[in-house]
Amino acid sequence: MPANPRILGIETSCDETAIAILEVGKTLKIVKNLVSSQIPIHQKYGGVVPEVAARTHVAESVSLITEALGKKGMDAFDAIAVTSGPGLATALRVGIESARVLAMLSGKKIVGVNHLEGHLASAWLNASNRKKWKFPLLALIVSGGHTELVLMKDFCKYKIVGQTRDDAAGEAFDKTAKLVGLPYPGGPQIAKLASLGNPDAFPLPRPMMNDGSFDFSFSGLKTAVRIAWEPWSKMEDARAEQAKRDLAASVQTAIVDVLVEKTMRAAEKYKVNGVLVVGGVSANASLRERMEKAIKERLPKLAFLPSDRAYITDNAAMIAAAGYWRIKKGEKHDWRKLDARPEWNI
Amino acid sequence: MNFIVARMEDWDLAAKAVADRLSPGSILALSGPLGAGKTTFVQALARALGSKDKPRSPTFSLVRAYKTAHSAIKQLVHVDAYRIESEQDILPLGLEEYLEDPATVMAIEWPEQISAWLAGQTHVIRMQIEPDKGSDVRRIRIA
Repeated sequence: MPANPRILGIETSCDETAIAILEVGKTLKIVKNLVSSQIPIHQKYGGVVPEVAARTHVAESVSLITEALGKKGMDAFDAIAVTSGPGLATALRVGIESARVLAMLSGKKIVGVNHLEGHLASAWLNASNRKKWKFPLLALIVSGGHTELVLMKDFCKYKIVGQTRDDAAGEAFDKTAKLVGLPYPGGPQIAKLASLGNPDAFPLPRPMMNDGSFDFSFSGLKTAVRIAWEPWSKMEDARAEQAKRDLAASVQTAIVDVLVEKTMRAAEKYKVNGVLVVGGVSANASLRERMEKAIKERLPKLAFLPSDRAYITDNAAMIAAAGYWRIKKGEKHDWRKLDARPEWNI
Repeated sequence: MNFIVARMEDWDLAAKAVADRLSPGSILALSGPLGAGKTTFVQALARALGSKDKPRSPTFSLVRAYKTAHSAIKQLVHVDAYRIESEQDILPLGLEEYLEDPATVMAIEWPEQISAWLAGQTHVIRMQIEPDKGSDVRRIRIA
């Protein structure tokens, strides 16, 4: 490997087809970062659809890889990092097969990367975060399929200290949004309406907030939102519009309250030096602001390490970065044996 | 068979009754609106079948499988068709492969989404969970 290795990252685990080239030296240089969002297709279906996802990944990954490699072809990278799991098996295999072919043809190193480790690495792409990066760290991973508190003892050494027992936080946003008639994806819609609503208007539960564990439960929120919305669901006047905003604000605050509180308590217990907030739901402005504020007020010595907005949703730069961590530890995989691991835990 | 669920323990009573009717190869088609308690019921069913695992929402991953400790049933497969719009999209999930296992039962949420596939299956038990208006009481109907 050269002194400044360039890692080709490939990500196709769910919504996004993404290809990136990351050059790692004294600084990080994101040479290419291509993401081809599939959201418009899924909007039509109200969710992610595996076969549709896989088919689109095939067409998009070929064109994105061609574009990323450019005239340099196989000389554009020194190693390959590809998401192997968790995710939809059919979608994962599109990226993995591309990566295997490139590894076979180029003879270069390949590593299979855990998508969640990729999210952890998304915070490391930020230069100011890297300066404050001192293990142990605590990461809150929040997305449509995940809600995990991960203790990071070192690069590649992690322990899940808390996770959801039913629905993920992003799922709670999406499904409560659907209950009040908002389109997919529900998270941004709730956030938009929430800024115009009163967060105390509807008393919603904060499940498991004070139970002493670091686990989460969001499924009960659906029942609470259904009951709260029932009297308004048939109305279409200005008062009902305001009720919808108030309910959105109440939902968002309920979810953020629990996420922040559990993260603070875990950070305190494990005596970490910083807190990462990563994954699709970390795009939520209220979550970012309130987490930063809670750290300042309660644990001011801790660094707040959110990922840049550009790397919050699924992307391949974060996969390349996590791949670099693995390669630096001496890991490499046999391209012949690399396969999808849909249920892979970090 | 009908049940009213007013307390958490009631889920276990209903799940025990359903577990008694399941045999290897059974498919439980679990209908009910968003937030009705379909996943909560499957958690109770896993308990009734002696599983140590607590099922989580399969909405994102579509299929999850859990080991059980029942005399005849050794695996509970939890499927969520919520995000499936076109029937052909269930092919890559390999549901038939799971059912080839002689000690597996399957619980499917949002079975309406894959009704044609389900019509071709034998041993289907249909179950409906309906929440009462304005309360967290649920009514369960098992056909």
